[in-house]
Amino acid sequence: MSQIETFYDVMRRQGITRRSFMKYCSLTAAALGLSPSFVPKIAHAMETKPRTPVIWVHGLECTCCSESFIRAAHPLAKDVVLSMISLDYDDTLMAAAGHAAEAALEETIEKYKGNYILAVEGNPPLNEDGMFCITGGKPFVEKLRHAAKDAKAIISWGACASYGCVQAAKPNPTQATPVHKVITDKPIIKVPGCPPIAEVMTGVITYMLTFDRLPELDRQGRPAMFYSQRIHDKCYRRPHFDAGQFVETWDDEHARKGYCLYKMGCKGPTTYNACSTIRWNEGVSFPIQSGHGCIGCSEDGFWDQGSFYDRVTDLTQFGIEANADKVGLTAAGVVGAGVAAHAAISALKAAQKKTQDKEEA
Amino acid sequence: MTTLLVGPFNRVEGDLEIRLEVEDGQVAAAYANSPLFRGFERMMVGKGPLDALTITPRICGICSISQSMAAAAALADLAGVQPAPEGAKVAALLHMIENVSDHMAHFNLFFMPDYARAGYASADWHGQVLDRFTAGQGSALRRAIEARADLLHVVGMLGGKWPHTLAIQPGGVTRTPTARDLIRIGATLQAFRRYLEAETFGGKLEDFAALDSIESLEAWSGGDAALFLRVAVATGTGAMGKGSGRYMSFGAYPLPDGRVFDAGTWDNGTETSVDFEAIQEDISHAWLLGDAAHPTRGETIPDEMMREEAYSWCKAPRLAGRTFETGALARQIIVGHPLARALAAEGGVRARVVGRLLELALTQIEMERLLRSIRPEERFMDQVPLPSDGTGVGVVEAARGALGHWISVEDGAINNYQIIAPTTWNFSPRDTAGTAGPVEAALVGAPVSEGEDTPLSVQHIVRSFDPCMVCTVH
Repeated sequence: MSQIETFYDVMRRQGITRRSFMKYCSLTAAALGLSPSFVPKIAHAMETKPRTPVIWVHGLECTCCSESFIRAAHPLAKDVVLSMISLDYDDTLMAAAGHAAEAALEETIEKYKGNYILAVEGNPPLNEDGMFCITGGKPFVEKLRHAAKDAKAIISWGACASYGCVQAAKPNPTQATPVHKVITDKPIIKVPGCPPIAEVMTGVITYMLTFDRLPELDRQGRPAMFYSQRIHDKCYRRPHFDAGQFVETWDDEHARKGYCLYKMGCKGPTTYNACSTIRWNEGVSFPIQSGHGCIGCSEDGFWDQGSFYDRVTDLTQFGIEANADKVGLTAAGVVGAGVAAHAAISALKAAQKKTQDKEEA
Repeated sequence: MTTLLVGPFNRVEGDLEIRLEVEDGQVAAAYANSPLFRGFERMMVGKGPLDALTITPRICGICSISQSMAAAAALADLAGVQPAPEGAKVAALLHMIENVSDHMAHFNLFFMPDYARAGYASADWHGQVLDRFTAGQGSALRRAIEARADLLHVVGMLGGKWPHTLAIQPGGVTRTPTARDLIRIGATLQAFRRYLEAETFGGKLEDFAALDSIESLEAWSGGDAALFLRVAVATGTGAMGKGSGRYMSFGAYPLPDGRVFDAGTWDNGTETSVDFEAIQEDISHAWLLGDAAHPTRGETIPDEMMREEAYSWCKAPRLAGRTFETGALARQIIVGHPLARALAAEGGVRARVVGRLLELALTQIEMERLLRSIRPEERFMDQVPLPSDGTGVGVVEAARGALGHWISVEDGAINNYQIIAPTTWNFSPRDTAGTAGPVEAALVGAPVSEGEDTPLSVQHIVRSFDPCMVCTVH
């Protein structure tokens, strides 16, 4: 654990100017929902604290999280974070190959014991002793357990690591299992979405690297700063929902006018994510803006909820809104303490039930 | 004879392990193992047919639009309709952008960094490669990531998000571009052209696309393309990894007046059309149960005993019993591009990489043309009522080659869904007759120096195919 360089050292080495660095600090503060007074704090932390090493591993997945990540809006964010990661271990982008790569993983674990963040993309399949995902001759679940043992904290990237995602769809042929069901003795931060938004990923990792602690989490273990509001709450088509103006069929006159997609199966009203504020691909758009309803890809079980084009039922148009924490609490209360561990699964249904109950009351 | 286990491979999409038998300083036999199985085909059974539009793209985070296009095409075929013509154009544009993004990512992020390895430190070109292509740091890599992110704004705008775009449907696309969008997309495409001409080609795209012989190719002097061509000859790696000379394409980018790049097969000089009925997936060397079958009757039942004689989760697709290589080189040979045809017999590392470079130039030109033809006032999506029973096939060309989805629906639910991805063709294991898959065959003869446990030649050859392992088994 001798001397690890600071973030600022890494940036300087990459030829990043002071001006650009300060801009990065203020953008980060903004993305994290922090006031401008935090900018010098972020800058100070990045100048003086040794950078936190990151190990990034891949299980059953499709690499969409990495793909999203390398297109974060501020080039500095991905440059810096990416360069820090590739200094350590990432099996999609790194230079070393084969056994040398496995050796690099061991070396990183050893060198930064107890001090690194483990970022997990994808999840382990547990069926048949993990034989459906073998890396380096061993089931991925073993590599995961091994790398998690000396990690300071774990980030579960995306729907796969957080909840299972489509590969866990019925009948879940490989028994794809989210990370928190396998690793139970470490702090885990879930960053769901398929994939998560790039700026959410860099925002979370920068927060952890800068402040050396987890961001505030909701009851499902998601960073509250990005997952406390529904897509619906900040959707630019919301006025049309409230006015009862809906798209009825694809490419009809209402679609061209940008009316609400609720009747086309939009899951925005039950989905907690930042798509309607941060948007996608450097903020150019998001699914609803492209004329397709939200499929709820950051919610647990989105892959097995019936057709993606069925409309959300039990929704009250002018109900009292609940935030994600309240929803979590409600879920635990409704389904009982015995299955509290599964509270997340019911959150979506409970959210609907709650608003309906309130309406009736 | 010694046995080498090479893998896990980094800088390929997904997991891959290759077993090599080495004799007299070269590879005598190779066995490609795809160690990742998720069972997408099994989870499609019982679901509503439209679920294919959301679930199958999630097979892969880098070619999700290809999967989306194939699923939408299979559903359109099931319904017996064609998408609205303007919708087909937008879908084709989205697909071209993804394929171009994959080609440039392969060249800059996955393939070229191998030449920055210490094993080449004494070469006079090594400094230049180090500067441009050191993994995670080279100047070319950084520019490529930026240019790619900018280009993908178009997918963001028209598709809402990338990866895992939802906009492509059997009847067209969900987003009608406005005249303003078209101007903005035009500006993005121009910026991308400038990037390609300044960095990758160091010259006009039209000039590179007009190359018609190996001599004219070797005389190309601009950009990273020239650096690659020089290194490929200097190291002798360009000629390595020669294929069978059999190429196949399902045809890329269906538009109202036909496909931009035609379908067909090429067998050492003989052209024919693709006989889709003659496709069979052999599973003799895969950890799967059942018999070889056409994808309309195919099954995917994992062999939980993982029997000895099998060594991969990948099926072995064959066309009329034979292996075919698929990808950018194959597409351009079948289209009849003179340079691609000139490289068909060489068929190794250089030919495959040049195939992609050629497509980068050609596709950019096609995208600009296609954009100019889009009419915002027309319909972009037709309503497509799906029958409750029937079958459909969707075939497209992903960046890495021929991709097909075969769907069968009964009582409104999917009762069979089979997918053959490009890397399933290229990285297939042996079949019942013991014939090796394309990459396994191409590795035979690759030089292995004394003491090399991760042979450089093998790295170059494997990456020249640009494997996408998560698609392979799905």
